[in-house]
Amino acid sequence: MAALPSKNLRVALIAAGVFVGMIGLSYAAVPFYKAFCKATGFGGTTQRAEKAPDKATDQFIMVRFDANTSSGLPWEFHPRQNVMKVKIGEQNMAYYDARNIGSNTNTGTAVFNVSPASAGAFFDKIQCFCFTKQTLKAGQAEELPVSFFVDPALLDDADARNIKEITLSYTFYPATDPAVQSKSVANSN
Amino acid sequence: MAMAYAVKDDHAHDDHSHDPTGWRRYVYSTNHKDIGTMYLWFAIMAGVLGGFLSVLMRMELQQPGIQIFHGLAQMVYSLPDPATVTDPAKKLAYEQGLLDNGMQMYNVFVTAHGLIMIFFMVMPAMIGGFGNWFVPLMIGAPDMAFPRMNNISFWLLIPAFLLLMLSMFAEGPSGMYGVGGGWTIYPPLSSTAGTPGPAMDFAILSIHLAGASSILGAINFITTIFNMRAPGMTLHKMPLFVWSVLVTVFLLLLSLPVLAGAITMLLTDRNFGTSFFVPSKGGDPLLFQHLFWFFGHPEVYILILPGFGIISQVISTFSKKPVFGYLGMAYAMVAIGVVGFVVWAHHMYTVGLDADTQAYFVAATMIIAVPTGVKIFSWIATMWGGSIDFRAPMYWAIGFIFLFTVGGVTGVVLANAGVDRTLHHTYYVVAHFHYVLSLGAVFAIFAGWYYWFPKITGYMYSERIAKLHFWVTFIGVNIVFFPQHFLGLAGMPRRYADYPAAYEGWNRVSSYGSYISAVGVLIFLYGMVSAYLKKVKAPDNPWGVGATTLEWTLSSPPPFHQFSTLPVIK
Repeated sequence: MAALPSKNLRVALIAAGVFVGMIGLSYAAVPFYKAFCKATGFGGTTQRAEKAPDKATDQFIMVRFDANTSSGLPWEFHPRQNVMKVKIGEQNMAYYDARNIGSNTNTGTAVFNVSPASAGAFFDKIQCFCFTKQTLKAGQAEELPVSFFVDPALLDDADARNIKEITLSYTFYPATDPAVQSKSVANSN
Repeated sequence: MAMAYAVKDDHAHDDHSHDPTGWRRYVYSTNHKDIGTMYLWFAIMAGVLGGFLSVLMRMELQQPGIQIFHGLAQMVYSLPDPATVTDPAKKLAYEQGLLDNGMQMYNVFVTAHGLIMIFFMVMPAMIGGFGNWFVPLMIGAPDMAFPRMNNISFWLLIPAFLLLMLSMFAEGPSGMYGVGGGWTIYPPLSSTAGTPGPAMDFAILSIHLAGASSILGAINFITTIFNMRAPGMTLHKMPLFVWSVLVTVFLLLLSLPVLAGAITMLLTDRNFGTSFFVPSKGGDPLLFQHLFWFFGHPEVYILILPGFGIISQVISTFSKKPVFGYLGMAYAMVAIGVVGFVVWAHHMYTVGLDADTQAYFVAATMIIAVPTGVKIFSWIATMWGGSIDFRAPMYWAIGFIFLFTVGGVTGVVLANAGVDRTLHHTYYVVAHFHYVLSLGAVFAIFAGWYYWFPKITGYMYSERIAKLHFWVTFIGVNIVFFPQHFLGLAGMPRRYADYPAAYEGWNRVSSYGSYISAVGVLIFLYGMVSAYLKKVKAPDNPWGVGATTLEWTLSSPPPFHQFSTLPVIK
């Protein structure tokens, strides 16, 4: 049994390799999960598009707008319209109003998703104030536009075709660390 | 199951003059039996403490309102007595704060009870204790493959446990103490948003150390079982307990790193500005739940699989028959282990998974009932027509089959995403997992305890006390947990110190049951102490012809070093 120690060491090293590999996979799950959410609209992750389809359908859907502000950011942030009735496939424009009610200049980033979650894959934004950071001086008010359309593919999806109403929700958080912020915005898009 | 006969090992003696003695024998131990014994002592200690926490919780839940925890918090954390606050305006606020502290403390107890029972009671008892003791003996090996690593595995548990204790007394939420997020430690409650204090960091580091201990143990067991089997002991002749430990340690090796990764992300989110689970910086708290349950579901099989192995040995021994369908039994455990990795999201039906995903997880989860059913029916078939000897270990084993089946059936109920909508996070879930773990796994541990007690200590336990222990525990735990099904169906949520008065009746019954179970623990301790005091010498094989595995060919207790001449299995 002279070979036993080296044989044991080999099995132990393989097992240790599996351990390290699984740690690696758990970290690999982070970008994989983000890519998965982006590709499938999982959990209401919205899509980004260059332009709306050439032809809109004649079906209508309701889009509701929701706005939240983190307690760390002294901003007033409201949708200008609570609800819009839009044609599926047609490009639309909605506006939010933000005002800095604090006494300092602040920079914020809006994170977003839509509800129900299964609508995420079919909600496309062309332009959005959430794509970049927003900076407001003390007392400054700003009009924040979002240009979007609802993908007609929604009408063919077994889970999503019965959706009558989609809620688009934003939450403004203070953008404290520019490096982390720009990275995370890129990731969540 | 293949019959394994060993050459009786008469050449091994424990009279080597250089064998360690005194405290060095244990602290520096590289002997699998001594380390196994220390694991068992540790598990008993942790189990008594975890059980004590649960009895205090049941005392609180015996009536609606907060009975004991505000007083307990005031006493344990040395907060001022409300009577000393004289300003009437401040008094009310102070009393409210004390109440909050008490309710936080209740949740800390919930968390600690879960973590202690999982990481410091069931796993050390089954894998560290019985696994260390009997895997080398059953496969005819002289010791574990890496005896020194075995020592580290055990001694890592002690600082892990101390860190968990420390976390109960460190600041958690601002102005309060401990970690109250449950053993699942979901963010944001476990991130700086919910628990800014260091209590959470202590708990995370405790789980890190306990995980490192388990991983080292897993590597050790895999190497031992693959490389150190005696000549003729093929994988398909291995006793089912060894099979169960083999599957268990593979699950550990594959799932624990994912938990380690997840809690490391949580730790860096809390302390080093990363944003894995911080939504304001582009992270996703839901990812933690996916990672956690990718570990957590295999973990519950890690807790029960060695129990399956113990029950197979016990049922076979006392039915005086080989286990029915040996290969089916072994591969059922492999199947449970494999499928256990692809069902994790059945813990997350309410997070907003789409219908197709839920349908998949429902189907995959229900498939696990098939290999589990194979095991249950094979145990019954083993008993069928056997010459059954109703000794104490057999009582516990039959009790296990009954209780585990009840827990398995409610598990199938909960597997349905639609049903789970109403039962999620209610006492129905609490009843379910206590039937499979608190009753299933613990009954398996006690079956193993009485089965191997004569072998480990060399003394016979008292059959009368062991059976009294069984009946008191069996009645007690059923009174604790069966009514919790009713509470869950009635909608009572878990992890709250208080509840509406409508739930009082069954809560009262459940609390009485926990006092009966606590008496059961005292009977267990009494039986153990009296066995040590009476010193009734146990024969090498007290169980007769049914006990066919290699440990029964050795003396009781076995020599300090065994199998220096390897046994040959025919």
